[in-house]
Amino acid sequence: MIEVKDLVRRFKSGDRTITPVNGVSFEFGKGSLASIVGKSGSGKSTLLSLLGALDKPTSGDVVVDGVSLAGLPDGKLTEYRRRDIGFVFQQFNLIPNLSALDNVMLPMEFAGIRKAARAQRARELLEQVQLEPEKHTRRTNRLSGGEQQRVAIARALANEPKLILADEPTGNLDEQTGEHIIELLSSLSRDHNTTILVVTHDRGLAQKTDRRFRLQQGRLNEEVTAGK
Amino acid sequence: MSVLARSVGNAFRNKIRTAAVVAVLAVAIGLALSMLVANQAVGAKVQELNASVGTTLTVNPAGGQGFEGGGEPLTSADAATAAAVPNVTSVVGTKALRLRTETTTAGSTDPADGAAQPGPGGPGGQAASLTTSLVAAVDAGTLGTRNNAGNSGSTAARTFTLPITATGIAAEVDTAGKALEITSGTGLGDYTVAGTKALVGTTLAEKNLLKVGSTFTIADKTYTVTGVFDAGTAFGNNAVYLTLPEAQALAGTPGELSSMVVTVNSMENVDTTKTELQEALGSGKADVTQGQRNLETAVASLDSVKGISLVAFIAALATAGLIILLIMVMLVRERRREIGVLKAIGARNRTIGLQFVLEALVLVALGSVVGAAIASFASGGIASALVSSNSAAGTTGAAAQRGPAGGLPGGAFPGGGQGGPFGGASQLLTSVTANASPGVIAAGIAAVFAVAVVGALVPALLTARIRPIEVLRGE
Ligand SMILES: Nc1ncnc2c1ncn2[C@@H]1O[C@H](COP(=O)(O)OP(=O)(O)O)[C@@H](O)[C@H]1O
Ligand SMILES: [Mg+2]
Repeated sequence: MIEVKDLVRRFKSGDRTITPVNGVSFEFGKGSLASIVGKSGSGKSTLLSLLGALDKPTSGDVVVDGVSLAGLPDGKLTEYRRRDIGFVFQQFNLIPNLSALDNVMLPMEFAGIRKAARAQRARELLEQVQLEPEKHTRRTNRLSGGEQQRVAIARALANEPKLILADEPTGNLDEQTGEHIIELLSSLSRDHNTTILVVTHDRGLAQKTDRRFRLQQGRLNEEVTAGK
Repeated sequence: MSVLARSVGNAFRNKIRTAAVVAVLAVAIGLALSMLVANQAVGAKVQELNASVGTTLTVNPAGGQGFEGGGEPLTSADAATAAAVPNVTSVVGTKALRLRTETTTAGSTDPADGAAQPGPGGPGGQAASLTTSLVAAVDAGTLGTRNNAGNSGSTAARTFTLPITATGIAAEVDTAGKALEITSGTGLGDYTVAGTKALVGTTLAEKNLLKVGSTFTIADKTYTVTGVFDAGTAFGNNAVYLTLPEAQALAGTPGELSSMVVTVNSMENVDTTKTELQEALGSGKADVTQGQRNLETAVASLDSVKGISLVAFIAALATAGLIILLIMVMLVRERRREIGVLKAIGARNRTIGLQFVLEALVLVALGSVVGAAIASFASGGIASALVSSNSAAGTTGAAAQRGPAGGLPGGAFPGGGQGGPFGGASQLLTSVTANASPGVIAAGIAAVFAVAVVGALVPALLTARIRPIEVLRGE
């Protein structure tokens, strides 16, 4: 369902050219939890932003359910992010002055879902990520890191996306909280039949995913490890 | 949570900054609204002035305004001629009399001091001089004493009072053609027949303890006060009005007029009518002047106030727009990353742009509420400050213009005659009341919002250029 074809992203800074993504190709089925590992600065975030249409590739293409992103105008890319993608960031990136509920409702508002329906669904999602009900209406800048990340995951799930892209979702959390988050993502990918791609440099967390990729010198290689 | 609710929330994210922005906006908006109110008030006043007094012409005998007055007096026939000129709606003839107080000139029954005073005795010597039981309510002052001393050429130590002006009028209007404001009693009734009824000015009535029904004498004839009028000035109120035929009879010159006040049907026709009137009467016979010349100064000074207030309104409006523009540009820069987040989770450019415009409007709405309050308190003061600082210049000009007339003996006439309407004009100037009418305030606030939308649109459009990848900045 997601095909990545010879993706290249090149940055020019001054007279130097960096190519963190240099010919990445892979295919991805529905309902799996995959991880990408790689050293800091190896281009993991760059690759994720290309998959999520936050950025445009220098060359190559991402094809989602037969639709090529390369040919889409900005408006369609916005729609793609809204409908097909859910992002989870290392810095959570919630709107700090809005409540947890309001944050989860935002993507649904952008998708034109009626207010009552989105409030209902937002509450359900916050329950699924195990945020205590009394914290649903709390401003997100008053929540702990782990709570914020759970709200962010609920927000990513809001429009039932095909693909959730999580960029080091545990990077700002302690080990135990991080493990909880990965377990949550793992169970959600099963329950929602959603593909989740997690970028991490924590090998331990990566071990818990169905498929593991390694980004090295701009290329992505699947790690085949025996047993699981 | 809607876009609007989010915008309102965002407007209050940093309360201290919001308060500061609203305060600055309120000053700019308050100033803009005050200027608009002042502009409207002054504009209305200019219109009122133009409409009420800008359409009259004064006709005097040729040379009648000079020191060496001469020529032929105006007659009823001239009034008929004037009335026949196109666009003339009314002609009111007046006959002026100078009254001197009997008691002050106890010893001076000599004719030189009486009716036979030549040239200096008034406009072109056409004001007959008669004795009266009345005492002038105005001090002679330096000019009056000098003039009187020059006149009589007799005892220099004598104390002089100003003559009182008695004017015969053919309608209930003053010498400038303005309707008389009768504060007690009634008018003279029929102004076209001779009679012993009289109207006296307020100060003259006070000085002589006259009330409605009181009597006094002119040339030993007894007159009854039927009403007291207020001309608005001391000189204007040191006067008596009789019916035209009565004044003509007193002067012994039936059918003669000192001057005529001609009313033209509209402002636009005043200039052409003036020319036509002059032609019809003959330039050797009569001088046609725009009776309210001094008011032109008033109107011109008011017009400049109107111009200043308009410029200030636009400047304050532009300032408000600029404040919004800069604040919103700052907010957009500050929230780059958040805009990236909104784009990453699928917000359309126009949704984000709208959110910022609405946020700007929330700030402007708050600024407008405070600004309107400021304006409703300050606009009256601002308007009168503008008007008085401007009319100071106007008064100086008018005083210079009045100089030669005031130098005439009996400065009250025609100096007083011209001073009267001018006095009225300066009163009109200061009586510009800037009421912050809801309609004007509403129009002003609409303009503020229009400018704010324009000011906010620029930063809102800037948000469209922020790329969603901004969300990863700093990670
Ligand atoms: N907008 C950009 N301009 C220039 N260089 C960039 C830009 N974004 C990323 N890079 C560079 O690309 C490389 C990969 O970055 P990134 O994808 O963030 O790595 P990772 O997420 O794996 O740590 C880094 O060297 C980074 O400096
Ligand atoms: Mg990264």
